[in-house]
Amino acid sequence: MNATAKPASNGVEKVSVRDLQFYYGASLALKGINLPLYERKSTAFIGPSGCGKSTLLRVLNRMYDLYPGQRAVGEVMLDGQNILDPGLDLNLLRARVGMVFQKPTPFPMSIYDNIAFGIRLYEKLPKSEMDGRVETALRRSALWTEVKDKLGANGLSLSGGQQQRLCIARTVAIKPEVILFDEPCSALDPISTAKIEELIDELREEYTIAIVTHNMQQAARVSQYTAFMYLGEMVEFDATDAVFTSPRDKRTQDYITGRFG
Amino acid sequence: MVNHTVRSYDKDLDALERRIAEMGGIAEKMVIDAMDALSQADVALANQVVATDPRLDALQREIEEQAILTIARRQPMAVDLREIVGAIRVAGDLERVGDLAKNIAKRSLKIGIEARVPRAIVGLRHMNDVATELMKDVLDAYAQRDTERARAVWERDVELDALEDSVFRDLLTHMMEDPRNISFCAHLLFCSKNVERIGDHATNIAETVFYLVTGETLPAERPKGRHEYDDAAQSTGTTTP
Repeated sequence: MNATAKPASNGVEKVSVRDLQFYYGASLALKGINLPLYERKSTAFIGPSGCGKSTLLRVLNRMYDLYPGQRAVGEVMLDGQNILDPGLDLNLLRARVGMVFQKPTPFPMSIYDNIAFGIRLYEKLPKSEMDGRVETALRRSALWTEVKDKLGANGLSLSGGQQQRLCIARTVAIKPEVILFDEPCSALDPISTAKIEELIDELREEYTIAIVTHNMQQAARVSQYTAFMYLGEMVEFDATDAVFTSPRDKRTQDYITGRFG
Repeated sequence: MVNHTVRSYDKDLDALERRIAEMGGIAEKMVIDAMDALSQADVALANQVVATDPRLDALQREIEEQAILTIARRQPMAVDLREIVGAIRVAGDLERVGDLAKNIAKRSLKIGIEARVPRAIVGLRHMNDVATELMKDVLDAYAQRDTERARAVWERDVELDALEDSVFRDLLTHMMEDPRNISFCAHLLFCSKNVERIGDHATNIAETVFYLVTGETLPAERPKGRHEYDDAAQSTGTTTP
């Protein structure tokens, strides 16, 4: 079926995935994916385990490059530049396309340094300016009021939800253009989850967001577009409102209504 | 359709549907009985219609509660969500149909002692037959998720509107012929309005059926086949809401 049809939208395509195939060794995990990520919108990737949604996310900042035997074929255009180009500066790419993981992964250092660390990789800043950047990042990720009096404390001393927001702050501090979330709330309690969702909604005003989630209600809440994937294929991509009220493909319908398998 | 992985979810939805079916049966019968009571001056039957209404109200409340619980418990999506919202809407329409039938029954009790004009009631009876047919068809369309049938009801409501027009003219004639008819015919005028409203609710249900099956809505404008009395906006060039 016409799974790649774009919904009526006048959004700018920040990222365009075209005919993307992905291999883990000899096995084909993504079978020709076509997908836009619209600028300043959140796009949710949903689908059963093993459908390829996390794989797709990991292609968007070439995370897979860290592993031998994994390769992507096709095009992933970021502002018109193919990020699959072997000559691409990966550090620069990952600064432009940040990622937040399922489990919070703060560095074993102070809250302040957790954020400053990433900035130092790309920029040399005087202390006063660095302080400003750290504060902005913490404010952006709604963590500032909770940690402003203990910036020297170890990042690992924070609660799970706070750690995840610290990781988001760390990502935001580098001023990326796209932020990828790989199940950012699956290890968090409902209140922390709500805070992260609120944050994602705010971040959307400045960034293009892609989020992988197993929680369909979460996809419905935080995203404007939803992509349903199954067995390495993009089954349906549409406005989130349409996908969750009247999906076009039967497989999407069965999955989101809990009739699968 | 394939069953849910969680089976009790299917049970929840089935329970909703069964209650809607029950409401539909009751409402349909009330519409028929109310008109019989009116045309045959059957006081016992009219009282029975009035006495049935609380059952319909109770069922509607049960459906709403069940629907809200299901939403809270299952976070329904897509067709399930449409189904549950549809159940709430249809229950609301059926409850209103019951009210309208009850109004006709109550009016027939009021008319009781007044001079009746059997000829005047013929048109109204015919109107009611059409309304009953629309109700029956739309309830079948709901039970079978039949969009074609739903659309047919939606299109046929125009017939009822046209009949209301002719009943109106007919009753006016009777009133002009003999002023002693006025009281009785005035009552019938109100009844014809009630029957016309029953048709509107059948149309609403048709729209709901179409939405719950397809996820799309029927056009906002229904086919119109009659002069609009309450259409002051027409002269100002604006469209009716």
